[in-house]
Amino acid sequence: MTYRVAMDIGGTFTDVVSCDETSGRMSAGKVLTTPDDLARGVFDALAGVRLPLSDVGFFVHGTTQGLNALLERRGANVLIMTSEGIGDVYRIARGNRSRLFDLHYRKQAPLVPRDDIVEVGGRFDASGAELEPLDEDAVRLVAKRVREEGFDAVAVCLLFAYLDGSHEQRAGRILREELGDEALVVLSHEVAPEWREYERTSTTVLEAYTGPSVHRYLDKIEDRFSGKGLDVPVHVMQSSGGLVNADFARRHPLQTLLSGPVGGTMGGVAVSRLLDRPNVICIDMGGTSFDVSLVLDHRPDVSPDGEVEGFPLLMPLVNLHTVGAGGGSLAYAEGGALRVGPESAGAAPGPACYGRGGTRPTVTDANCVLGRVDPESFAGGMNLDVTAARAAVAGLAGDLGMDTVELASGICDVGNAKMAQAIRTLTVEHGREPGQFALLAFGGAGPMHAAFIAQEIGVTEVVVPRFPGAFSAWGMLEADVRRDFSMQFFATNADLDTTALATAFRTLHGQATEALAEQGIAVDRRRIGHGIDMRYESQDYTLTVPLTDADDVTAPGFLADIQQRFAEEHEKRYGHATPGAPVQFVALRTTGHGLVERVDAQYGAAAAEESESVVRDVVFDGAPWPTTIVPRTALPAGSELAGPAIVHEETSTTVVPPGARLRVDDNEFLIMTLAARPELEAHA
Amino acid sequence: MTLSPVTTEIIRSALIQAAEDMNMTLIRSAYTPTIYEGKDCAVALLDRHHRVLGQSSGLPIFLGNLEECTRHTEERFGSDVWEPGDVWVLNDSYVGGTHLNDCTVYAPIFVSGELVGFAASRAHWIDMGSKDPGGSMDSTTIYQEGLRMGPTRIVVAGEENSDVLRMIETNVRFPYVTLGDMRAQVACARMGVRRLGELFARYGAVIVDAARAKIFAQTERLERERIAAIPDGEYEATGWLDNDGIDLDTPLHVTVRVTVAGEHMTVDLTDCADQATGPVNCGRSQAISAARVGYKLLISPAVSLNGGSFLPLDVQVRDGSMLGAREPASCQYYYSSLGMLIDLVIKALAPAMPEQVAAASYGDSMIVQFAGELNPRTGQPFVTLEATVGGWGAWHGSDGETALINNVNGSLRDLPIEVVETLYPVRVTHYGIRHGSGGAGRWRGGDGVVREYVMEADQDLSLWWERSVTPAWGAFGGEAGAPPRVVLNPGGPGERQLLKANSLRVRRGDTLRCESGGGGGYGVSPN
Repeated sequence: MTYRVAMDIGGTFTDVVSCDETSGRMSAGKVLTTPDDLARGVFDALAGVRLPLSDVGFFVHGTTQGLNALLERRGANVLIMTSEGIGDVYRIARGNRSRLFDLHYRKQAPLVPRDDIVEVGGRFDASGAELEPLDEDAVRLVAKRVREEGFDAVAVCLLFAYLDGSHEQRAGRILREELGDEALVVLSHEVAPEWREYERTSTTVLEAYTGPSVHRYLDKIEDRFSGKGLDVPVHVMQSSGGLVNADFARRHPLQTLLSGPVGGTMGGVAVSRLLDRPNVICIDMGGTSFDVSLVLDHRPDVSPDGEVEGFPLLMPLVNLHTVGAGGGSLAYAEGGALRVGPESAGAAPGPACYGRGGTRPTVTDANCVLGRVDPESFAGGMNLDVTAARAAVAGLAGDLGMDTVELASGICDVGNAKMAQAIRTLTVEHGREPGQFALLAFGGAGPMHAAFIAQEIGVTEVVVPRFPGAFSAWGMLEADVRRDFSMQFFATNADLDTTALATAFRTLHGQATEALAEQGIAVDRRRIGHGIDMRYESQDYTLTVPLTDADDVTAPGFLADIQQRFAEEHEKRYGHATPGAPVQFVALRTTGHGLVERVDAQYGAAAAEESESVVRDVVFDGAPWPTTIVPRTALPAGSELAGPAIVHEETSTTVVPPGARLRVDDNEFLIMTLAARPELEAHA
Repeated sequence: MTLSPVTTEIIRSALIQAAEDMNMTLIRSAYTPTIYEGKDCAVALLDRHHRVLGQSSGLPIFLGNLEECTRHTEERFGSDVWEPGDVWVLNDSYVGGTHLNDCTVYAPIFVSGELVGFAASRAHWIDMGSKDPGGSMDSTTIYQEGLRMGPTRIVVAGEENSDVLRMIETNVRFPYVTLGDMRAQVACARMGVRRLGELFARYGAVIVDAARAKIFAQTERLERERIAAIPDGEYEATGWLDNDGIDLDTPLHVTVRVTVAGEHMTVDLTDCADQATGPVNCGRSQAISAARVGYKLLISPAVSLNGGSFLPLDVQVRDGSMLGAREPASCQYYYSSLGMLIDLVIKALAPAMPEQVAAASYGDSMIVQFAGELNPRTGQPFVTLEATVGGWGAWHGSDGETALINNVNGSLRDLPIEVVETLYPVRVTHYGIRHGSGGAGRWRGGDGVVREYVMEADQDLSLWWERSVTPAWGAFGGEAGAPPRVVLNPGGPGERQLLKANSLRVRRGDTLRCESGGGGGYGVSPN
């Protein structure tokens, strides 16, 4: 038997989803993460879900190795080499503030102190012409210093290297010659061939800083597989939502920085295709945080760049919006009002109902008081302490002069309102109202709150996938290989040289083809797409206008056509356009997708378990309602239920409020339909 | 009636969110980078009595001027003037407080025929038809600064008022984008109308109003508690603006007197220079706003703004002074005094709040502008605008931040060298920290920056740099930061120091070295 296996390694738990390549049967499991040695954890997890190594035929995982190194500031010891005159740019960091009212504002402390930044001579101008040759003696002095002071890595970022990388390449050769394997050398034009020297330096430094630890980690994993004589293709999820093999990830470790949570978004893409719902809001609610991301027109919402921990990253990232709202969010009184989160009870002591000494009420405690979680089956049977939950909520209720059940409802309402706002922020940013989307809920607590959040934002359809507690891992199994390429290409509509443009795209196309071949993707499974970053004159931000297969950039009508399409994209995103206004071409982007071969997943193979549903009182809208409590295993495809009902399974609980209807579709997804909110309709 | 703390909290966050949605709508649908990138805008959702329900800002300096516009309209035309579906504009400096470019667009919000509030936004329009494009550094009356509109309906009963739009179109240099920005503000107002409408439809007027009263009371109580913790007394600080941009030899003084009495604070701004000839004046509502920024930084930096904010604060402004300008004073560079006013409120209160205050920062925008008829890179005319970052003041427990945008701007970023050189005929040969420019002290002031340009074509240089007469002062024995310094052709035959310039011709090969000021130090230096 051979399995395709996906693993999402989170802070507390590691989720594993596997698919039997012969039958298409899927299964999921959960084990504790081993934070001290993530590589060992991978194998412990496989053993924990009883998957023999020899049966693993394809392995993909999301790793937090690089991100942990960054969050805990225990990355490599990095030296920056940059152009003469700009050694302070990394410290200046574009000078902006993220808080408007703060007299004591400090920027994020840089990962590399000023003393470890060295300037070297050599300069290009904005047309790519060399003004001054590279000072090679200065580069050799840098190598000497790296050796003497024992730096782990050198980040090389020279002005205009995205136009001409020869100085960086020469510097890289000298450093490697002098240093051998002693230090990792990272060149900015290879990591992020785009303009903006601060952002490019930051990206290069992040790669140098997190690279060595990701490197060691992947080595260990491959060694372990090959130690057993197994040749298992090991893949890693990238921040862009695409997969790459371990060999590439080792050479470009930064792409894996946000590899875990984006699995959920890619699962959302797969669900949007399965259900033929082009626009999906993905919500992932766990113990401490709530992540929202969007699927727009069946595609993940990916930004060409972003920020991590306040450090800019010129690299495609799935756009994830995180707010501090989870099952563990603490409720408290401030100035006579009720506040919920962002402070969390965390894993220890955790919510009061976990019985680990927590006494302050959390969202999970509130759900417990309302009867919305089944105390025996919660999180695979951790036996919740309802009395402790009630005592915690009652304590705060006393302070606020409220009834315990009323407050419990209130804690959920405030939490739901906050999450609804996070969603609205993201959709309004895209110029859309949330009512046009389906809501896909996963994570341990997502399906518990989804119906209420949906009602808050005017969404009428909620989807709870299979394995909601391990959905990110499921998403990784559904993801394809992806490689991104970009090239700075500055031109205006007045001076665009379409022959040069065609040549540039041919180069990028060649790079993508080569990259997909390197990933072992057969010719017929390669999909290569191109886009151009464009903007109106005097704008700073750009929009990526996709090219179609039919586009011939040298055709006479191309310029007019692409400007028209840019105007349409602009209209869609910003609600207006300026047809005929001067535009600029800024960068070219090429993405190579490699379609992973996979058997169609089969669900519903197992007969539904004969299981008694029970009826118990659960509080909705302040009043107890007799509610059907049913295990998910008792709901085969085609089942229907009317709310109020609660569907529980090992890793999650789905709450179906009164008035909502639930059906189980052919994929065994739970599809909940809600009544529309009249006041939102009236204004729509 | 009794109102649940849950409902109050949900309404409180819904109002904040409504303002955020308005701001997002404005920023994402605006036509010019000044708004969608410079974030030179602010929005507010107001109640029937012009009190703030929710506010969201790109710039930190519009605290109170949006409601002045709706209030002024009502005072002038009576409360019957509001009609559903109307949208108004106003840009009168003497009402709104700032320059004519700042246009406030506002709409009444009706629910079931009842006026329940207003949605308002202010955004910087790039040109109002002033004597020089975008505004002048040497205007001496407001009539040189462009089109001035008192309360004017741009939308009547849901339809654009085409007469007025044509009038605007005829007066400004870039009508297409200007009307685009105006329509973005109309969209923003409609988002506010919609969100407040949803809230009223869901909870009803009685509950929303009860929640509003409770939210305001919470904010007011918190601010009163914080003021009560400050020792009673009179506190004072004085600073000088370099000049008014016309008479470069005469500094203009501002004295800030703060009185703390129990739970109440008064900021007296009456002792300052008379309104000036040059464009450094501002309307009283902007002076009040600046005093509020200083107050907020010390009293309630993390609290969302609402109608309970600033109730314990009284700001006094003298009509006819530089901070309470009357017609026909010029106001184009109204913000010159703001950074200093904010620092002066903080300086005055330093003896009473030694751990909350900070020493002064480098000042405000420090503008460098290049313009020319022909950009050899594009064959087109060009104009650039850069604000320069600088050093902030130290405080008890920390050095001040180095190379940070000023207190008047918010999320504005510097221009990358690779972008500047690609777009404009200049080369940046050095961009670094101006070491030692922060004032010495137990905790050092942050350092300013040095940015050196070499001209690659003949072009016109404009500069608006301030705070050389009273550079960023230290606190509690800390030393002042270095003043700003701008030198044309340093070390060369034509070396020249200058801080202000209006379209000065510079030649290919000329070098311009700009050094921004450092922040003040805090406490006596141990050395």
